[in-house]
Amino acid sequence: MPSEPRIPTEPLLEELSAYLDHELDASAQARVAEHVAGCQSCQARLDGLRQTANAVRALPMETPRRTFTIPAQRRQAWRWAPVGWVGSAAVALLVIAFGIQNLHLLAGSGSTATAGSSANYSARNPQRATGVRAASPLASPAASALDQQFNAQAGTAPVNASTVADPTNGSRRLVLDTDSASYSTNGKMRVTIQLEGSPSSSANSADQGLTLTLVHNGVGVALNPVGVISGNGTPIFGGWYELPSLPLSGPRAGDYRLTATWVVPDGSGRVLQAAVAVQLTGS
Amino acid sequence: MDDRDLVGLARGGDQEAFTQLIVQYQVPLYNMALRMVGGPDDAADIAQEAFLRAWEKIRTLRDAPFKSWLFQIAANLCYDHFRRGRRYGVMPEEDQTGNVVGLGIATPDPQERAEANERNRLVRQSIEALEHDMRIAIVLRDVNGMAYDEIASVLRVPLGTVKSRIARARAQVQERLRQHPDLFPSPSTREDAHAE
Repeated sequence: MPSEPRIPTEPLLEELSAYLDHELDASAQARVAEHVAGCQSCQARLDGLRQTANAVRALPMETPRRTFTIPAQRRQAWRWAPVGWVGSAAVALLVIAFGIQNLHLLAGSGSTATAGSSANYSARNPQRATGVRAASPLASPAASALDQQFNAQAGTAPVNASTVADPTNGSRRLVLDTDSASYSTNGKMRVTIQLEGSPSSSANSADQGLTLTLVHNGVGVALNPVGVISGNGTPIFGGWYELPSLPLSGPRAGDYRLTATWVVPDGSGRVLQAAVAVQLTGS
Repeated sequence: MDDRDLVGLARGGDQEAFTQLIVQYQVPLYNMALRMVGGPDDAADIAQEAFLRAWEKIRTLRDAPFKSWLFQIAANLCYDHFRRGRRYGVMPEEDQTGNVVGLGIATPDPQERAEANERNRLVRQSIEALEHDMRIAIVLRDVNGMAYDEIASVLRVPLGTVKSRIARARAQVQERLRQHPDLFPSPSTREDAHAE
């Protein structure tokens, strides 16, 4: 009677691929694992599949340039419209669903600010000090000052908002909003970013994998968001930014895009991005 | 409030509840369409049409998960798009990263950024080259992060078919990426280099 082979049968391509995704039943998963452990050839096949899957997963999740909506009446003709004004209905809902709720929680919960100064931020992130111009919110906001900023805004609904949900985690959302869609070039812009469902409790943007950019004609300025942890545990970043102090190039007035990019700090490589249009007016 | 609650309200005509569903799914749905048809305008058209049809048909949705049902509608629209022959298989060379400039911040070195952009371009091209059934399988899995049974539900095919399509798609993408060893070195090559 022939003895059992010591190494299980070489897995098929689809078994290796499903093994990578943990989509085999327990016995098949164990069989493939045992084979791969003793077979360099299949280890290389598996590594190749993993590399390919990771390359596809590394494609950035892009933000649609338009807002999706439904017509007021069924079957009514509908058409596209710029995010700025048709988006207002969705924005209002966003505010109701995500913004006000968290801001009210924040206002009433005695939040703790743990972010360092912008100088410390730059020291921790030397790569961000080169190649991209960076701007900090109003000078060195202390914890109490930041608290006051967020407390003050709690009663003011954001009017320019965008929310992106993590397709792999229903409780994780990136919420970006500003207090206006249009500012004077001499004005101040208030930005709030909520990292709902973050696996990290850090109020440091680098730890969270969070970047914020203001882009005009393909030229970006990195804004340094400072953070607090809200009463419900949601890291919230942002601040007031003095627009005259931003190192913007060319005519400062024009249409900008403010984009928050969150590389979720769980090792998955998942990237969430939210963007809002911002207009600067004046000279 | 979860999907089931929102769907329940939307079935009763609550547009605000449906708008919350749009907010929740607009980015993943748009990205699925984008990776399927290539052009951002076509992808946005498909996403909008999918939401509109979902709104119009939401009263017919019973126990099925809203997400699978919505993606099923969008997948059908992608196939309609291919059947109509609009920009079939064309991946415009226009800047598809226009909305993701912020990512450059993570790799500010110009050479690293250029390489990352080139890697992404090659991956997009490799996906584009796949036959539609394989393309949608790998997109739902590796772009949208869906489980196999969820993909089977969206595509209305057996689980074994999902496994097979994802595996074949990955193998074909891998074969194309291997033609650029400078950007996609084989794992064994990288290990050798590391050992040295």
